[in-house]
Amino acid sequence: MTTTMQSPPTAPAAEQQADVKMCVDDLNVFYGSFQAIKQASLRVPENNVMALIGPSGCGKTTFLRALNRMHDLVPGVKVEGQVTLDGEDIYAKDVDPVTVRHRIGMVFQRPNPFPKTIFENVVYGPKIHGVRGRKNLMEIAERSLHHAALWDEVKDRLDKSALELSGGQQQRLCIARVLAVEPEVILMDEPASALDPIATSKIEDLIGDLKKEYTVVIVTHSMQQAARISDYTAFFLMGELVETGNTRDIFFKPQDKRTEDYITGRYG
Amino acid sequence: MMASLSPAAAPARGRPETAAKRRAFDGLMTGVLWAAALAIIVLLGFFIGYLLYLGAPVMSWHFLTAPPSEVTAGGGVGPEIFNSFYILILTLLFTTPIATAGGIYLQEYARPGAFTTLVQFCAESLATIPSIVMGLFGLLIFVTYLHWSFTALGGALTLTILNLPALMRVTQEALQSVPNAFREGSMALGATKWQTIRRVVLPSAIAPLTTGIVLIAGRIFGETAALIFTAGTSVSAGRSAYDFSPFHQAETLSVHLWYTHSEGLVPDAAQVGNGSALVLLIMVLAFNIGARLLGHTLSRRLTGK
Repeated sequence: MTTTMQSPPTAPAAEQQADVKMCVDDLNVFYGSFQAIKQASLRVPENNVMALIGPSGCGKTTFLRALNRMHDLVPGVKVEGQVTLDGEDIYAKDVDPVTVRHRIGMVFQRPNPFPKTIFENVVYGPKIHGVRGRKNLMEIAERSLHHAALWDEVKDRLDKSALELSGGQQQRLCIARVLAVEPEVILMDEPASALDPIATSKIEDLIGDLKKEYTVVIVTHSMQQAARISDYTAFFLMGELVETGNTRDIFFKPQDKRTEDYITGRYG
Repeated sequence: MMASLSPAAAPARGRPETAAKRRAFDGLMTGVLWAAALAIIVLLGFFIGYLLYLGAPVMSWHFLTAPPSEVTAGGGVGPEIFNSFYILILTLLFTTPIATAGGIYLQEYARPGAFTTLVQFCAESLATIPSIVMGLFGLLIFVTYLHWSFTALGGALTLTILNLPALMRVTQEALQSVPNAFREGSMALGATKWQTIRRVVLPSAIAPLTTGIVLIAGRIFGETAALIFTAGTSVSAGRSAYDFSPFHQAETLSVHLWYTHSEGLVPDAAQVGNGSALVLLIMVLAFNIGARLLGHTLSRRLTGK
């Protein structure tokens, strides 16, 4: 099996053009005795969009959640291996997971705005990190909502409940909420899977825009989406990181037979 | 096999019933369940109606405010109403912080393990203790051992122990109703656990939490057995009817109801009992309705709807 894998999953030539933002080495994740991720190693290039693809249950979401220590919140999950951000091990003993999540934000599969006003949702992060004063917060809110392409739709009803927004608007609000804390990396877990095609294309446009300032890692079950929005792609299968590289290369000249089978539609 | 796929053959797979028969049975079951629901409404309606019929003639400003009488007719329940609220407030003052803190710990912090199991087991055991037993326990500790005699404080502390598990349960359930996505959303923005609980989880849980607390307040208001031996069966004689000292006897409305009916010497014991029962019922109903309204208003205000 491994003989077909000509380039190792670490650092293909194309990735060396961009600086490495995050670096994963020999990552193992266990749910109790079940191993969901097996020895995965990956370089995440800075100011690029990296897509994680693979069939359902392949571990792509599990892998994503290991990148900002979300697994810490769930009892019974064990993470082994090394994950670094700018060369710092985020799982080191003296590292506070709260600081890690401040620097590495996350957008979830289902929009999860808090049951608060639109304004309170956006400024939630800045507030907990100590930003005070209505004027400062208003500035942050406006900037973040602009950036998330939501400002024009909500500027007249910032004091209305976020739950009154449509699903697509809620998801962009969740993105604005992440942008407001100015993370360095944004993780997205199938952010458009619960949305209609128009809302999806808005989110996709937005992601293309975000990479100018942020590093984006996005899980998607849609290969078309991965092809449209990502610069790099990593393919997962049954907990294994099979292949990673330039998105064009993965789609047009996959090195591994299994990647090729998946791309050409031989897995569900 | 193949035949059973056609709709016409479908009933043949089960018992030989006709569609009409099954529809009739379905209708019958709907009727039975509807009747059961109706029975609850009718029972409550009858109960309230009957108490109104008995108690309404007794109602007067005098009855609601005057002190009780020991031997002559015409006593009121003013101090008893006051004591009921006084003990209720004292009890909630003690119970709410401990119970919510315990509930938050169990729901948000505790990881499965021996300690968590032990706390849960203790809470459940505590919840099954009959209130009369709790009353005797209060008698032993507060009245006898601490030499407080019958006091409002002793009564309130006994009720605190009695209601702690239920209120802890209410807190846990209220927190359980908050979607985990809110917690993850907050943590993923770099919030600490406490910030998440304080700013997202608790505000989202406030409606079920207040509803639960007010419903338990209704129960505390009507609690009798645990108070007979701890807060006493008379109002502080010779002092002002509205006595704020926690170290004086404080007979509540429900205890007064029991007392006049079982040991009272007044000739109008039945009327005083009916009147007390009606006041008690109205108060408890008010708690229940108030709980719904309060929960509704709070959730609207705090969730920005």
